[in-house]
Amino acid sequence: MPPERLEQRVAIAPDGAVTAFSGKVEFGQGIRTGFAQIVADELDVLLDRVTVVMGDTDVSPHDWGTYGSHSTQQEAPIFRRAAAFGRSQLLARAARRLGVGVDRLDTSEGHVISGTTRVPYGELVGDEPLTGVIPEQVAFLPEGRRRYVGRAMPRVEARDIVTGRATYAADVHLPGMAHGAIVRPPVRGAKVKGVEAKAARSMPGVVTIVHDGDIVGVVAERADQARAAADAVDVDWLAGRPDEGPDADIPLREDSGIDQVLANAAMRHSAEYVLPSIANAPIGPSAAVADVTADGATIYGATHRPFGLREGVAKRLGLAEERVHFAPRMSSGTYGRSSSIDVALEAAVLSKHAKRPVHLQWTREEEFSYSPSRPEVTLVVSGGLDAAGTIVAWKYDEHTANVHTAGWFDPDPERAGGSQGRNAIPPYRIPHLNVVLHMEPTPLRTANFRSLAAAENVFAIESFIDELAHAAGTDPVAYRLRHLDDRRLRATIEAVAERSGWGRAPMRGRGLGLACTIYHGTLCAQVADVEVSADGVVRVVAVWAVVDPGFVINPEGVRNQVEGGIQQSASWTIYEELRHRDGRIAKTSWDTYPIATFRDAPERIDVLVAGDASQPSTGVGEPGAVPTAAAIANAVFAACGARVRELPLRPERVRAAIRSLP
Amino acid sequence: MPIELRINGTTHAVEVTGTATLLSVLRDDLGLTGTRYGCGIGRCGACFVLAEAGAGAPGSGATAVASCLLTAAQAARMEITTVEGLASPNALHPVQDAFIAEDAMQCGYCTSGMVISAAALLGRTPHPTEDQIREALATNLCRCGVYGRAIRAVQRAAG
Repeated sequence: MPPERLEQRVAIAPDGAVTAFSGKVEFGQGIRTGFAQIVADELDVLLDRVTVVMGDTDVSPHDWGTYGSHSTQQEAPIFRRAAAFGRSQLLARAARRLGVGVDRLDTSEGHVISGTTRVPYGELVGDEPLTGVIPEQVAFLPEGRRRYVGRAMPRVEARDIVTGRATYAADVHLPGMAHGAIVRPPVRGAKVKGVEAKAARSMPGVVTIVHDGDIVGVVAERADQARAAADAVDVDWLAGRPDEGPDADIPLREDSGIDQVLANAAMRHSAEYVLPSIANAPIGPSAAVADVTADGATIYGATHRPFGLREGVAKRLGLAEERVHFAPRMSSGTYGRSSSIDVALEAAVLSKHAKRPVHLQWTREEEFSYSPSRPEVTLVVSGGLDAAGTIVAWKYDEHTANVHTAGWFDPDPERAGGSQGRNAIPPYRIPHLNVVLHMEPTPLRTANFRSLAAAENVFAIESFIDELAHAAGTDPVAYRLRHLDDRRLRATIEAVAERSGWGRAPMRGRGLGLACTIYHGTLCAQVADVEVSADGVVRVVAVWAVVDPGFVINPEGVRNQVEGGIQQSASWTIYEELRHRDGRIAKTSWDTYPIATFRDAPERIDVLVAGDASQPSTGVGEPGAVPTAAAIANAVFAACGARVRELPLRPERVRAAIRSLP
Repeated sequence: MPIELRINGTTHAVEVTGTATLLSVLRDDLGLTGTRYGCGIGRCGACFVLAEAGAGAPGSGATAVASCLLTAAQAARMEITTVEGLASPNALHPVQDAFIAEDAMQCGYCTSGMVISAAALLGRTPHPTEDQIREALATNLCRCGVYGRAIRAVQRAAG
């Protein structure tokens, strides 16, 4: 990788306006605000002077994608150094201009100051932009001079969001723009044999019928006209076999002699955990506007992979990559779903044939039926304990499927362990450990979904450690601590136990459950307080969380992310399951795929942000969602004695578990 | 057919088909894209607008309705306020201020509809209980999970 350069990261206009550039994208996780805080502080300007341009392939530095809660970890140190380097250049320019030593100068709110003389940054920049390789070592402003970093800040987009001015992909309107609609296959994997579009072609408003490879669609003057005509297109489909993806067993950890240790253990316990496929289900269905001409293409949209989108669209249209411009707009949260560039490709192909800008937004039914979704996962665990109840062996098999949309599955154990096998290795001290990732073909389109496989693995691991604690007759918090060396995770667990009043006598039908994780450097422990009715209805009354993401840039942003992760994960855990048959999704609306609503929101979600300021900043977009399912399932066990190992925790499933209790 | 729509205190003459929804006319004809498409069947709240019969001060006595279910022709008999029309020239609506103060949003896609539902609630019930807030906003789906914050925002706006 070439070294990062200042001019790729921070620019100051003659009027003093500061623009910072990142290849990451904002989905509501608050990184735009965090980056602005960092740049404003180290450059010593007011926050409202800073604009952060994100994921625009014409001006943003190249980036591999907004994944894995890596944005802050990756970008914060670069922005900090870039801004500090910029400030040092401004000081040097002012010193030359004023004929004084740099040591006699200081900065304040976008000015270099020397006694009573104040020179605006913009004047020092003029038409000579700040440039140069950003050095590894650069002088930072003293901590006491920070105005923004470490303080709770509202997100910079807030005003535009509440007034409706925020522009999402579907809000883009270009002169001469037409609307598209896609004709969908009856099942995944079907191929086009023939297209009969005579009736559709003469329908009102129709501009053109498109059949280009696997894409069949209609472009019309208005969206409803395009939809109606698309429904009238008769496609002869050739059913294909939808199953795909690698079939491979990848050992992530293989300690020798584990079978012997398990066989000789004083106590053995095994369990199988099952999580269904679930839908990312963004509130805003996928959308893109494409403007394709003979010279090139501009795509307005939203994706986790701006540069991957540019590459994919260029390839599909047969254009050189530099002829394609991806101009991101605000995005509905998609939690990984828009790692796929499907809607952009479709809009681009429609626009190419219509020779006009084309607006395409999927319907809600399409979003459920044809979007990629989280694959089903089965986790099989065996543990062996010694006579004192200490874990001596742990055997773990993760059965999952490839994530097609990202398209970068790599069977190398190191890399597979970081993607589909993420967090399959428990954080506990286990002398004999065996972890195998089994990749299995799937009939579904699969998507990254908030933490990839970590939420699934942690559901199994944190349920199982709870089962072992009970098997050993030990309190689950004490049992975890007994097997943990990580100082920060121990502190996080102890803090959440204290805040939640762990150990207090529960009310009838109520129970507390704990779970924890280390996710890409961020530590998070949660306690759920759950009520289980006699007929199996699970209600999350409260959740306490403690999170340590290292040095904290925006504590309110961290709290919001962790609260949201908990709320979303509680919804997966209690309500969500995508049903499919022969490669066809059987649930296509909010009626048949309900998610948690205002009525279901816990009475309280209490998040303590306890970042270790001596540690680098790590991400919070995903970690909050990771331990929640196990915390809830463990609380269900505490409440009613039933151990439910399959999600979602639907009343009939919980009821059956209660009734089968001895 | 030609119709006249009263939107945010202004009269707009538009040409629509009998089946055109208010949502599509707002977004595609009038450029009021703050009202968002989410499901097309009134189950998610992203397209909510305030509507009241006949003339009157926008916001008071208005109810939150799904603009994806209403035809533009039906809306011609109503006074419509969209999220763009909620603020007065000099100040945001108290609900908008409160949503900012509580950071009651993440991606923001559902926020327009939530703000509309909250404004409708406070218009008829100035001091709602938490249960009343949950009921009034029950159709506003949020996938990012800001329900708790939004409840606090409505409470803050209620004073």
